[in-house]
Amino acid sequence: MSFFDLKGTLKPLTALKQFGKQPHTLKETPFVPREAADRYRGFHYNDLEECIGCGNCSTICQNQAIDMVPVEGIEGKKGDSGLRPRIDHGRCCWCGLCVEVCPTGSLSLTKDYVYVSDDADSFLWMPGVDNPEGKERKSFVSTEATSLNDFARIPMPELEGMERVKSFAEVVLGYNEEQARAEASRCISCGLCTEACPEHMHIPEYINAIARANDADAVRIIYDNNPLPEMCGKVCTRRCEEVCAIAHRGEPIAIRWLKRYATETVNNADLIKEIVNPEINAPNGFKVGIVGAGPSGLTAAYYLALRGFDCTIYEAHAKAGGMTMYGIPKYRFPEESLDKQIEYIQKIGVKIHFNTRVGKDISFKEIYEKYDAVFVGVGFPKPWTLGVEGEDLQGSIQAVNFLYEINNGKQVDIGDKVIVIGGGNVAIDAARVSRRLGADVTILYRRRVQDMPADWEEIEGAEEEGVHIVPQAIPIQFHGDDKGHVKAVEYLLAEMVPDERGRRPKPVAIEGSNKTIEATAVLGAIGQQGDYSFLEEEFAEKIRIERGRFVVNEFQQTTDPKIFAGGDAANRTADAISAIADGYRAVKGIEAMLVKEK
Amino acid sequence: MREKATTLYIGPQHPGITGNMMVRVKVEGDTIVKATTEVGYLHRAFEKLIEQRNWLQSFTLLCRFCVPEPDPVEESYARAVEELEGREVPERAKYIRVMVLELARIASYMLWYGGQAGSLGLYTVGQWSVGDRNYILDLFEELTGGRVYHMYIWPGGVRRDMPEGFEEKVLKTMDYLEKRLDDYDDLMFENSIFKKRTKGIGIIDKAKAIEWGVVGPPLRGCGIKHDVRIDDPYEVYDKLDFVVPTHEGGDIWSRAQVRRQEIRQSIRIVRQVIDKIPGGDFYNKIPNPQKWALPKGDAYARTEAVRGEVGMYVSSDGGTHPRRAHFRGAAYVHAITLLEDLLVGENLADISAIMNSLGTCPPEIER
Amino acid sequence: MKEIKKTVIEKITTHFKEVTAQQHDGNRVDFFIGKEEIPAILFFLKDEMGYNHLSHIACVDWLEEKEFEIVYIVWSYTDKIKIFVHTRVERENPVMDNVDMIWRQANTYEREMKEMYGIEFTGLEAPEEFLLEDWEGPPPMRRDFDTEAYAREKFWERPGREDARDVRETIIERTGEELPDFAKKYKR
Repeated sequence: MSFFDLKGTLKPLTALKQFGKQPHTLKETPFVPREAADRYRGFHYNDLEECIGCGNCSTICQNQAIDMVPVEGIEGKKGDSGLRPRIDHGRCCWCGLCVEVCPTGSLSLTKDYVYVSDDADSFLWMPGVDNPEGKERKSFVSTEATSLNDFARIPMPELEGMERVKSFAEVVLGYNEEQARAEASRCISCGLCTEACPEHMHIPEYINAIARANDADAVRIIYDNNPLPEMCGKVCTRRCEEVCAIAHRGEPIAIRWLKRYATETVNNADLIKEIVNPEINAPNGFKVGIVGAGPSGLTAAYYLALRGFDCTIYEAHAKAGGMTMYGIPKYRFPEESLDKQIEYIQKIGVKIHFNTRVGKDISFKEIYEKYDAVFVGVGFPKPWTLGVEGEDLQGSIQAVNFLYEINNGKQVDIGDKVIVIGGGNVAIDAARVSRRLGADVTILYRRRVQDMPADWEEIEGAEEEGVHIVPQAIPIQFHGDDKGHVKAVEYLLAEMVPDERGRRPKPVAIEGSNKTIEATAVLGAIGQQGDYSFLEEEFAEKIRIERGRFVVNEFQQTTDPKIFAGGDAANRTADAISAIADGYRAVKGIEAMLVKEK
Repeated sequence: MREKATTLYIGPQHPGITGNMMVRVKVEGDTIVKATTEVGYLHRAFEKLIEQRNWLQSFTLLCRFCVPEPDPVEESYARAVEELEGREVPERAKYIRVMVLELARIASYMLWYGGQAGSLGLYTVGQWSVGDRNYILDLFEELTGGRVYHMYIWPGGVRRDMPEGFEEKVLKTMDYLEKRLDDYDDLMFENSIFKKRTKGIGIIDKAKAIEWGVVGPPLRGCGIKHDVRIDDPYEVYDKLDFVVPTHEGGDIWSRAQVRRQEIRQSIRIVRQVIDKIPGGDFYNKIPNPQKWALPKGDAYARTEAVRGEVGMYVSSDGGTHPRRAHFRGAAYVHAITLLEDLLVGENLADISAIMNSLGTCPPEIER
Repeated sequence: MKEIKKTVIEKITTHFKEVTAQQHDGNRVDFFIGKEEIPAILFFLKDEMGYNHLSHIACVDWLEEKEFEIVYIVWSYTDKIKIFVHTRVERENPVMDNVDMIWRQANTYEREMKEMYGIEFTGLEAPEEFLLEDWEGPPPMRRDFDTEAYAREKFWERPGREDARDVRETIIERTGEELPDFAKKYKR
């Protein structure tokens, strides 16, 4: 380099060519705010209608910038905590993780990012409530492709449809460990499900225990308020899954199957006792008599026994379990699963008198006088009849009776063409059992398939097994042959008429649409009712029964303070988990009445 | 009169456009006889915080390790986690990542232009280059939703696919920048002030360079051709055609020349990515982040940033949170031990220029 | 690549008796060795085998095992292999050998480990403080140092957010669910 570098001195002067040019960073005047990109991560916006207050945004926020707070005008209900996120924009770092984990997609970020205030408190505000205009300014939104929620359920291994009908082998095979961990890991632990569960089981906690590979803890958490979890794990109506946060855009967490997985890791009663390791109080001197060893009676007995009560159950049949023993087919709920749980309940001190029908083998009055409190969990043993001509023909059988006989190991002659009438779980069970006995099965149902009260998985299972479903069909007559045996069912097609009072549409028969279908047996499954003939007159007067059910207070106490009732005979939901919930509530009622009174 | 040694404190407020740190120098006249670095003004305990967050959450902290070029940190963490878990990354995501890394490299060089020239009193360069960097930030805003902190590369791929018409915008910006580079050559590299102030200043001994842990442009400025993208290729760098420029000399001038040529290579890589990018997924979805546990083990992923090799070491105890995440910044080596050695014998006025030429980045040292 | 990895393992295992080697996918080899041998193995790797680039030194606190793990990651520009050298140091009064005579920049890593984990490096010459200033508490990167508790004690919460509710608690309150204590650790 020479002492004077001419080129090096002149070259920089070429910069003068920029002289007078508009600064290129300013495309517009500085007073017009620049419009942000279509994906900009600016202030939050929350669609208050879509938001369910699951709080996942608040959990993922690593700056603890998001609080969940109640909002005026939004009431909490099943599937909605009633809380909404409020964001401290002074802490937010605009990463947008809250958007990515939002299960409903209600939360998004907007293009707005300019906000100036000297009041630091004004940075604390609720998206959607305080910036309704944000709806039009959404930019960074959650889509199913980018969401961090796992929307797809781990498929449950099952026997193949036509393989199933060959035997009564259990259809659902259950998750293995790896599948269970993966499925449990989908859960965001919001806990909305616990409100929908009649028994308020500790769902997020036991799922979390499974996800963290601690099955024993999961079992302990499950047994905390459900002594029949393996049954629930297999046949629960799972109201919890209906409100699952993930279900808003995907498949709900398989809560039922996870419970099943956890309980199946413990395969005998002694092991259950060892793992659950329940704390059994010293006897408190009170005695409780229980009528019926169904889910509600067993639950009441189990938790009363843990609390030091002396419990005795009177069961009319040879086995405990009630409808879950005699009403649910074995391919859904194998007997050994139930036996294991009953054995465990007996192990902690519950006495069960089998084959003892109250009202026949022992009077209700005797029980009433012998015990300090009585719990009645008798269920709905009596089926409704259709009330059509020919219903008393041979081969016209009540589905519950049919299931009872089959579950009892008896033979029932149904021939090869079975018609099932009804659309509930009993109807589907009867149909699928008939398939396993080798018959062709047709279900006649008054409404549409989507109106069927049966579990959708059961309906699907039945279809896979070759059950034929005829919806919108109202039976009007059973025809018999000369020997008095049913040979055909005549029915009318129906059309769905919208209900004026906004209830579900009603099926109305179409005149002249008569159809006849051949049958060797007809199984009626349109519901059951209570049978309270075991109550002596003095009790029948004292205890109020309305619309076939006991009138009870929040502790399942009937109008006779000493008598508590639960299960189908006391609630309207008529499923096992509600019965368990009734039993659990009655325990608290009985304890409050007897122990606290003293 | 005999010369007496004086102690001076350079910093901690931005000794050059570097970030907050301090160099305590003992000078005789204006010649440095001893230099001691002092850091600690920017410690935010990120690595401690990462241990308390789940595997995903921490990616929002990572980009804050280094402001001018946050993406290599995100990328190395993502890659370390992927290695630990054995997670596949879709091909398209890899291409997008390379594009993001190269755009970040250009943006960061633009800032370096301003810093290097500014430390020598050439302030116009900084005003231009920060303006030009804005065009790349515009691209980032469109792609990632953020201008400076992108939080875009995460385990499994990238967060969002490229928006429609993005490729054209990238190419347009590349064309513009390529033309602009000539202006910078005239204003900066041809400038006799720049030449005089950089040639023969801050010389790194070529024989000792590797042993001292010199990486990146300072190493290539010694004429040693090492670059993580070539030596230990990651993402899809082995499928792309580019040269790693070197320059003999080991002084500020050589390092500047390396960077000057690297921008052109980056533009070339970005164009190739746009040309070759395959379709398909941009993201191999991770499980629910709250319950996402990684297998026990450790992993270390290195990335070539503008400052040189950066890397992320992660260790897992099999849980949902990292056991440890430790970041290796190039400046961790360059701006402490190397800087202390280099400054001895240099002129007081060259401290800023030397620091800038080494790619000093205190937030990366302290995390 | 496989060949090189094999030779590396062979060389190290013949030279150092108390070492365990572990192969990984890709260009990575791991060695586990007692802490006394660390300077020797690093010297050997650098001078005899050309692993002259020190890529990283990391420290991991295995609190439950009462040990620190120190990992040296070295790289050879010719072999193109990265070698992880793992060693364990007892957590109580941890002392390690200083290696900054092998790589000058190890000095910085050791300063940080000394400050953040409280590991003494024999013969380390460096200023007392690195990142921290006037720190009197325990070494903060140790896992038993609770950052949140420290922050709560040191700083104050800005008022105005006390009305925040926990979703799970809200539902428990509403339904009367009784969550047993042993289940609480499984809340999110």
